[in-house]
Amino acid sequence: MIKRITSNVQLTVGLMIMAMFVLVTFVGPIIFPYDPNPVVTEIYLPNSLAHPFGTDWMGRDVFRQMIGGAGSVFQIAFYAAVITVLVGSTLGILSGYAGGKIDKIIMAVTNIFLSVPAFPVYLVLASIMTLESPLAIAVVVSAWSWAGLCRAIRVQVLSLKERDFIQICKVMRMGTGHIIFKELMPNILSYIIINFVIAMRSAILASVGIMLVGLASYDPTNWGAIVSAARGRGLINPMNVRILLYPLTAIVIFQVAALLVVNGLDELLNPRLKVM
Amino acid sequence: MGNSETFEEKTPFAKLLRVVQAFFVKHHYILSKIAMSIVTMLLTMVMIFFLLRMIPGDPVYQYAIGIQQQRRITFEEAYKVAVQMLHYDPNENILRAFLRYFSGLIQGDLGHSIIETNVSANSLIRTRLPWTLFLSSCALFISFFVGITVGGYVAQHRKGLANKAASVYIALSGSIPDYLMALLLVINLAYKYKLFPAQYNYDAFSVTPGFNLPFIRDVLWHGCLPILAYSLVNTGNWIMQMRGSCIGVLGEDYILAAKARGLSSRTIRSRYMKKNALLPLVTSLGMAFGGLFGGAVLMESIFNYPGLGLEISGRILSKDYMVVQGLIFFSGFMVILVNLLVEMIYPWIDPRVRRE
Amino acid sequence: MDAIVRFQNVHIDYPLKKYTLHAVSDVSIDIARGKITALVGESGSGKTTLSSALIRCISEPGVIASGEILFCGKDEEPIHVEKLTEKELQSFRWKRVSMVFQAAQSALNPVMTVKEQFLETMEEHGDTSPAAQKENRCKELLEYVKLDPDRILKAYPHELSGGMKQRVMIAFSLLLDPDLIILDEPTTALDVITQSYIFSILKEINREKGISMLIMTHDISIVAKFADYVGVMYGGKLMEFGAVRDVFKKRRHPYTEGLIGATPSIIHDISAIKPIEGTPPDIMNLPEGCVFWPRCVYFEERCRQQEPDTVVYPDGSKCKCLLEGR
Repeated sequence: MIKRITSNVQLTVGLMIMAMFVLVTFVGPIIFPYDPNPVVTEIYLPNSLAHPFGTDWMGRDVFRQMIGGAGSVFQIAFYAAVITVLVGSTLGILSGYAGGKIDKIIMAVTNIFLSVPAFPVYLVLASIMTLESPLAIAVVVSAWSWAGLCRAIRVQVLSLKERDFIQICKVMRMGTGHIIFKELMPNILSYIIINFVIAMRSAILASVGIMLVGLASYDPTNWGAIVSAARGRGLINPMNVRILLYPLTAIVIFQVAALLVVNGLDELLNPRLKVM
Repeated sequence: MGNSETFEEKTPFAKLLRVVQAFFVKHHYILSKIAMSIVTMLLTMVMIFFLLRMIPGDPVYQYAIGIQQQRRITFEEAYKVAVQMLHYDPNENILRAFLRYFSGLIQGDLGHSIIETNVSANSLIRTRLPWTLFLSSCALFISFFVGITVGGYVAQHRKGLANKAASVYIALSGSIPDYLMALLLVINLAYKYKLFPAQYNYDAFSVTPGFNLPFIRDVLWHGCLPILAYSLVNTGNWIMQMRGSCIGVLGEDYILAAKARGLSSRTIRSRYMKKNALLPLVTSLGMAFGGLFGGAVLMESIFNYPGLGLEISGRILSKDYMVVQGLIFFSGFMVILVNLLVEMIYPWIDPRVRRE
Repeated sequence: MDAIVRFQNVHIDYPLKKYTLHAVSDVSIDIARGKITALVGESGSGKTTLSSALIRCISEPGVIASGEILFCGKDEEPIHVEKLTEKELQSFRWKRVSMVFQAAQSALNPVMTVKEQFLETMEEHGDTSPAAQKENRCKELLEYVKLDPDRILKAYPHELSGGMKQRVMIAFSLLLDPDLIILDEPTTALDVITQSYIFSILKEINREKGISMLIMTHDISIVAKFADYVGVMYGGKLMEFGAVRDVFKKRRHPYTEGLIGATPSIIHDISAIKPIEGTPPDIMNLPEGCVFWPRCVYFEERCRQQEPDTVVYPDGSKCKCLLEGR
């Protein structure tokens, strides 16, 4: 298995970058602790060895800020992906497998979530709830994202259900639990894993977006909050632009890495005949 | 006597019943789609209604205070007026409150602002939606046409450099959120090189709105950056979809058969590959178009562009929820409506799903 | 033999990432003018690849690595098909050689009506006659394959049944009066009644219009009833070739013998069928020596070491076996 992973360039590169982000999240704050107190003498310092990314309008080190914020960014992404995948695949499997009335009801509900635009609802939720933990934000940004996954998994289950091996299980009167967990799950697991990474991607974008509007910035070191604060200071000032570019670049790098992982996993887990 | 009378009455009725029945059987497909859309709309209303009840505080109370000060009437009277205007009364039992809210929506009244008088979701849609639609539909059609052209080309030249470049572009544009693209463009093209205006829809000091050339030119001028940002981000997705669809079609037997018939590669490309590859994209295009009616919240707020999206984020920040729910309902409604239209038009485009 | 097509030492390769796959190696075969020639073999034996090379429609990334494919029209210089330019190919295809694909069910563009596709092919081949005349030609052909032209012409492919589509494709292949029609498994996926119906139509076309046919099949009974010549392919190589009567009577190659022995017959005891032992060859990993030895009942040690030459017999038959006259 490891050999198959390393032979896939996209997956290897993507996983390495993601591992680096994880490493920074866990080890970074120990090596480079962040001091949120303003240092009046060090306002808007350019890049230097002491301050690799320079300092902000209150003289705080941007590099350490970002390392401190990585934790909250990835916690939100992870929790949100867990919730999205759990809710989406449970309802999707239930809807596809059970069929009938249950299917109709779940699909009707899913349709609402797919029609009503997600982002404005995230903003409403973020403004009426006081979001003070990564988990709370994760709940908000996964409140809508499960619907697409649910529908996609339902389609997969529906097509699997008609396949011979499931039909045989039914003829043999195997238990529903057995069919779902031992027969269906292995076949859609790869799809779920891929969607986990996709959910992380969109959760980061959504959470940063919410903070960019000025909501839910409970943690000023969260990359979204850094971007929002820098933007609030005015982009006419190139110093603020510089500060804002670091977290945005980090987000894009993570997004690209996650996309590489998604493509790599897709190739690895859903092999199609690829001549050439 | 009586019997014959009822019989006389029954015959035209039975006839009518048969006609109605035949109509239902004939248009079963479309009618069931319409029914499904109506159900989704009703459920959307229910959900937004419950979202409304989650809002802390009493919006009607606030609104009533405003009316009381304005009209100099007693608070009780003002409260009654407020309930009438907002179609919402949190003190009623839940069923009656829903019915009131529902009748408001059915009358086409999407909700009034509780902060500004004479501002309602309807008036905002009237003034803001054209701006949102101008930006986003321009961008959507630019990125769609560029996307299908490039996607069709790279699908046929999979070994070429263009395909590699397209893959990189797809990966990058799929990873850069639209608001980041907007920020980058504003920072570089507007602030650094001062090529384009950074915000607003037109320069209110130098042009007068109306059907005159300077105004139109100014609007287009201000639209450049947002449209560019939108298109840059979304084109990748269309390239990817078109490329995937084309590669699928190119593997079909009818492409090889067309080649065997000695058809020119131009004919095969346009009438065989593109025509078939575009079919699934029509649905995507419809869905994307339906999604435009909510406005792009972050894009518009970065460009300070007075579309629906900017309005929604602004109203959420000022906690003007009665308007917000109206705007959100409106955009959901449009998504459902456009999807329904696409499904009704689709049989015209794809003969395989055409019903007799 | 008056040949309309001569394959001479044809090699067709699929260059893949790590190795090259030899789909067809060193095949020489003549297709008789005005006759029906059949190619039999299991799936993967290279018969489809060989025949699609004739109109240069080999599926990607296959290429004709070496050898010659000569198309000899009446009273004209032979055409080197492997050397035709893209432009020349366009007018060669369908006008000289047309093909009824194995996947005839999906060989029509689903978003165009039958009429549109017929007319389009005529126009692309430079037919400038008035539309009514062209339409009459289409109708005539559809009637010829016993279809109702008015209904079929305005139909979309999905509105036709499998047998109808197959007949539409046969009519389509006649559209430009070709000299040769390639029929790749023309009746798979059809029921037996429709099968025999289609073969009777084909036989009629062959007899009345004098169009040569090259038909691919894995059904040996079709060959016996329908064809004049037969080539037997295995693992990308031609094992045996000759007039149907000779091949069936003499059964020079053990593989041919196996194929005939494995065919069920209605009147005989089903237990008399002897299937060929083993599995079809893996084209990526062909055995040394004779490609058939792992499954051959007459296998001797030298079969493994030496690839047999093709022996030509006085009756014009060819056989590729060391144990000839066993």
